[in-house]
Amino acid sequence: MSKVLMKGNEAIGEAAIRAGSLNYFAYPITPQSEVAEYLSRRMPEVGGVFLQGESEVAVSYMIFGAAACGERVFTTSSSPGISLMSEGISYITAAECPAVFVNIMRGGPGLGGILPSQADYFQATKGGGHGDYRLLVMAPASVQEAVEMVMQAFVLAEKYLNPVMILGDGLIGQMMEPVEFPEHLKVEPSNKDGWATSGMDTRKSSHRNLVKTLYLDPGELNAHNLKLKAKYERMQREEIRYETYNLNGDYEILIVSYGTMSRVCRTAIDNLKESGLEVGMIRPQHLFPFPGQAINDAAAKKGCRAVLSVEMSMGQMVEDVERSVIGKCPVHWYGKCGGEVPTPEEVMGEIRKIIE
Amino acid sequence: MQIDLYGIVAIVGNYGSGKTEISINLAVDRKQAGLDVRIADLDLVNPYFRTREARQALAEAGVEVVLPPEHLLQADLPVLSPAIGGMIQQSGDLAVLDVGGNNAGARVLAALADAFKGRQVHMLQVINPMRPAMNTAAGCLKLRDEIEKAARLKITGFIGNANLIDETGLQEIYSGYEFVQSLAQQSGLPLEFIAVARKLLPDIDRRRFSCPVLPVDRQLVPPWLSAAKFGGSVG
Repeated sequence: MSKVLMKGNEAIGEAAIRAGSLNYFAYPITPQSEVAEYLSRRMPEVGGVFLQGESEVAVSYMIFGAAACGERVFTTSSSPGISLMSEGISYITAAECPAVFVNIMRGGPGLGGILPSQADYFQATKGGGHGDYRLLVMAPASVQEAVEMVMQAFVLAEKYLNPVMILGDGLIGQMMEPVEFPEHLKVEPSNKDGWATSGMDTRKSSHRNLVKTLYLDPGELNAHNLKLKAKYERMQREEIRYETYNLNGDYEILIVSYGTMSRVCRTAIDNLKESGLEVGMIRPQHLFPFPGQAINDAAAKKGCRAVLSVEMSMGQMVEDVERSVIGKCPVHWYGKCGGEVPTPEEVMGEIRKIIE
Repeated sequence: MQIDLYGIVAIVGNYGSGKTEISINLAVDRKQAGLDVRIADLDLVNPYFRTREARQALAEAGVEVVLPPEHLLQADLPVLSPAIGGMIQQSGDLAVLDVGGNNAGARVLAALADAFKGRQVHMLQVINPMRPAMNTAAGCLKLRDEIEKAARLKITGFIGNANLIDETGLQEIYSGYEFVQSLAQQSGLPLEFIAVARKLLPDIDRRRFSCPVLPVDRQLVPPWLSAAKFGGSVG
């Protein structure tokens, strides 16, 4: 298939359709509103449904309902909207239903601003809603990768019967890049007989499926949490994904950075190379599970003097980086979160400061 | 072949067709050709990658930039500066209006109807056939009708802007030109010019085009790239 030029938000909407999700519930918010605008036109063309909820809270329960019925379903929002959805996300996770949530992050806290941010790292990877749950969190760095991750997200959500979150910063939603939609990433849904409440006449099983989140018996609730925990441990074994840059030779500094921020770091690494300073990078593509072992190995490499977490937040991922490096070398943080993306020059300046 | 546009030029088209890059580059190109040029950012629908982000480069090139007040530049609200009306009335040699995408973005022009009264407006639709739904004449003409209805003005010509940004090759330029040329013939409207990234120009056979070519120095780049210098190499 030939390439087309698309805005990230449009491409995310189209990718979900190509993945076979014809259910989209959402509420508009900058900088992701183009997904809703695009799908308001596209969904009727493909026989799908776009329903705008009266709030993000309502949207999260529309998602819950459709997911419980075994439908491929997704929503998109931006930071404050995801906060509102967090209650529903906790319920969907507890009920073990698959769904895809896309967060095109803007600056926070509160209403914050409408420019790019990565300050929802904690919210996405450590909770947001209540209870012991995890989301599988994917972090695209380009529009093409956003397309591929959205398509893969539905399959992963069904594999784990757990929501998957695509965590993109505002630039991922707003920038234009050439994309194609890989046919092979469209995977038909797995057998839903064991969990979907789609009506007895739609299933081969005579077992009645029950979707619930209330476990009043303490032993039963503990057992339920242990079952969820085992699922997250399986994610940690099977779903680690990261990319390396300039990591084969020797390097003095190791950068850990994700999303579009990592592309700024690439430019900084290329520029520093010209002046004779070698810097390597690990870019987590999945933020949960986190590539802790890879970071530990890279930090332990002879010649690596320090690790720098570069993120559009006041220092969130750096905590996971520290936990991964476990004292192998000093860990630093650099970032901004007003909406101005750090420039390659600023990242280079920070690295030079560490070297001195 | 020179671009032959004077007075009020409103640049419209679908989302992501390249309206802002073309507005900025047209303004600077005409300024360098000796015209007195102003540009207004009328994009009320897009939150990122707007003309206002190139305001410094435009000012350095001698183009007067009309924007909402500084403290409202990042507002998540449609802010229309009252200075726009004055700019339309006193357009000078060339006043470029960079309008938002689709019919939603073009609606702002209807709000300026009083200012346009008795003035000739060149409303040009930018076409990039590498954008979804813009690869057929029917798709482009449907959008033309929607924009005209929202703007309450008629589209007077087309601008060809076939590109895949950094992945644009000569094939995209030539086939994109042929597409827009045939669209112009079919609709009876002129193809005013096509836009081509300056770095591709040395490889382009201009004899294949029967319209002027606007060289484009990309200004609205993501933070890991540098904007191109006007009229020159990447800075």
